[in-house]
Amino acid sequence: MNRKLLVALLLGVVMVLSFSLALPVAAQDRWDGADDLPVNPLDCPMAEGEAMPEATEEAPMDMPAYDGGQPTNAPDLAGQPIVLVDVPKLVGIGYFAATTLGQAQAAEELGNVTVTTDAPTEANIDDQIAVIDNYITQGVNGILFAANDPVAIAPVLTRALESGIHVVGYDANSEPGAREWFVNQAEFNGIGKAMVDSMVAEIGADGSFAIVTSTFTTPNQARWIAEMQAYQEKCYPELTWLETVEAQEDNVLSFNQATTLINKYGEELDGIFGMTSVATPAAAEAVVQAGLCAVDAANAAAGSPEAAVAVVGLATPNAMKPYVTGDNAGCVKSVVLWNPVDLGYAAVYVMRAVVDGTLKPGDATVEAGRLGTLSVVNGSEVLLGPPFIYTKDNIDGFDF
Amino acid sequence: MTSSTLQQSDEMKSGVRLRAFLLRQEVVLFLMMMIAIFILTLGSDKFLTLDNLLNQGRFLTEIALVALPMTFIIITGGIDLSVGSIMGLCAIVLGYMWNPTGPFQWPLELAVAFSLLVGVLCGLVNGLIIVRIGVPPLITTLATLALYRGLAEGISQARSVRNYPEYFYELGQGTLLGVPTQLWMVLVFVIITAIILSRTIFGRSLYAIGNNELGARFSGIPVGLYTIMIYAFSGLMSGIAAWVFVSRVTTTRSDMGTGLELDAIAAVVLGGTSIFGGSGSIVGTVIGLVLIQLLKNGLALSGVTTDGTIVVIGTVLILAILINNYIQRRASAVE
Repeated sequence: MNRKLLVALLLGVVMVLSFSLALPVAAQDRWDGADDLPVNPLDCPMAEGEAMPEATEEAPMDMPAYDGGQPTNAPDLAGQPIVLVDVPKLVGIGYFAATTLGQAQAAEELGNVTVTTDAPTEANIDDQIAVIDNYITQGVNGILFAANDPVAIAPVLTRALESGIHVVGYDANSEPGAREWFVNQAEFNGIGKAMVDSMVAEIGADGSFAIVTSTFTTPNQARWIAEMQAYQEKCYPELTWLETVEAQEDNVLSFNQATTLINKYGEELDGIFGMTSVATPAAAEAVVQAGLCAVDAANAAAGSPEAAVAVVGLATPNAMKPYVTGDNAGCVKSVVLWNPVDLGYAAVYVMRAVVDGTLKPGDATVEAGRLGTLSVVNGSEVLLGPPFIYTKDNIDGFDF
Repeated sequence: MTSSTLQQSDEMKSGVRLRAFLLRQEVVLFLMMMIAIFILTLGSDKFLTLDNLLNQGRFLTEIALVALPMTFIIITGGIDLSVGSIMGLCAIVLGYMWNPTGPFQWPLELAVAFSLLVGVLCGLVNGLIIVRIGVPPLITTLATLALYRGLAEGISQARSVRNYPEYFYELGQGTLLGVPTQLWMVLVFVIITAIILSRTIFGRSLYAIGNNELGARFSGIPVGLYTIMIYAFSGLMSGIAAWVFVSRVTTTRSDMGTGLELDAIAAVVLGGTSIFGGSGSIVGTVIGLVLIQLLKNGLALSGVTTDGTIVVIGTVLILAILINNYIQRRASAVE
């Protein structure tokens, strides 16, 4: 009896402890996840009548020195056929299928590049490391990667560089010294601005919103949320930030988390941000099933559009078409993203340029086929361009 | 005449012994591994090289460290699903206590020791709930799987801890006498656990508990104490796995070790340990571990993609268990 009491007490203590630990998460004031890098919010929209946020043009800043790594004794393969392996965070999702497509297009145009995609079926840091390690042993000329963790992946990438293999990242960076170049799809502050502006266009500058993200430590999502918060505080201080919830990159979990948010906050909730290509369609589906689409709400209770929940997020067009132009047209008005096909395409061109010696440390631009000339930012990153906003007017032109 | 019959029966005896040896689960599994190695060697000339095989040891270490106590637990008819979460929690505790910009800023050695202590405590809680409250191990550890992971995420506040001192990486990335450092650690633990399981009263009692818990109790075996001990041991080993893993990947994250429990259980069960308890061995578990790791590596080197590899591994798991079951049934029918 006494012992049972002891165990029960122990459990109670553990639970209280876990609750007290869980609470500060909701009260946390910065949302930059794993790092403490400074945020750099862009300027607020200028005039009132501006419905769609301007594509963010980066003003040229003074260039920091090249901070990437270099392979040791890499064979000179300029102009010769090269074999590349592409290791995204995971395979089996639309987003990385699109980057793979872009890589295939670039390889076909170039004619002297062979690229295969291989990655774990779950976004797991250890599995990704094992995959890369195997390709180092197998021997390839170059590795393209999208890191599940910027630090954890660094030792294995360094090993690749030491084995004379060229390493170029895209989508999710590693520590700079562990790769030569990183193709940056969009600068974090540009995405943050586009997301918040799109949301404000729907819910007004005094609405309340919640966020469904992957995990708090996922580097891209954490940086975007940090930039979103900085931009929101600067430009729309009246917006209310209700909660940020984790949903891995899991379809069912994202749907459940979004539904929980809708039930928890009720009328108070005006909008949901989806931070991943999985979370955004799941959040849209949750809104549809709750009958809270802007169109439904208008039909059901004309005159109380505040009952609707807007969804703005990062996602691939195919997954969002049902909510933008399809069966539930109008539920989602803007989907923010870059073009992942172009991202994969650019990564292969950058790799080719590195192997050919046309992109060297200190260079300011690189030629990338149909994308034209891309500029180098932050020392060793190649910038793809401003973020792209898919709306009902343009989304049907994309298929990925 | 008498001498010739004697000789004959001697020959028969050794024949039976040889047959019994060949039909042992571990031997059957070992032969399967040899066949797999042979086929994989045909697939890639990079596979059967010392460098590659030793390097694979690094990837096997964390699973191996957890699979050893898992063998003990499954032999008693239990299971521990919380090992991956304990590993995540220990990794976070290690980083949190050491973090030079955090609230504690302990010396690294102390932080490691403390995280191992946390591992033992987690295991103790599992054991206490199972023994004192009588909740089945599957349910208990399923609950603590969620609880420990939640604690890890709560403590870490979604921040990872990085930039450990260079010497700390020696364990996970360095080599000792040409062999990855952590592999020596695995070797020591394999020998210790194998001796405990097969040569001590404690170890033999675990089989008794798995075969007939009530019987074991009436034979005077302290079933409760032993059960708590093996779950605490499992917690400790998960903590050590966390230590090695943090040293290998140079960072701590709260999602470390997700899915580790399944890899460990797969290796143990492939190694011939009955999921119902009562039989199994460390040697079998080690062969199971090595076979899975070699398959993963060898298939990847032969150009099979990762999604294809897991299909093959799943198939091999089922086949290996079917073949072994068939042979064991035939063998016991002959006896």
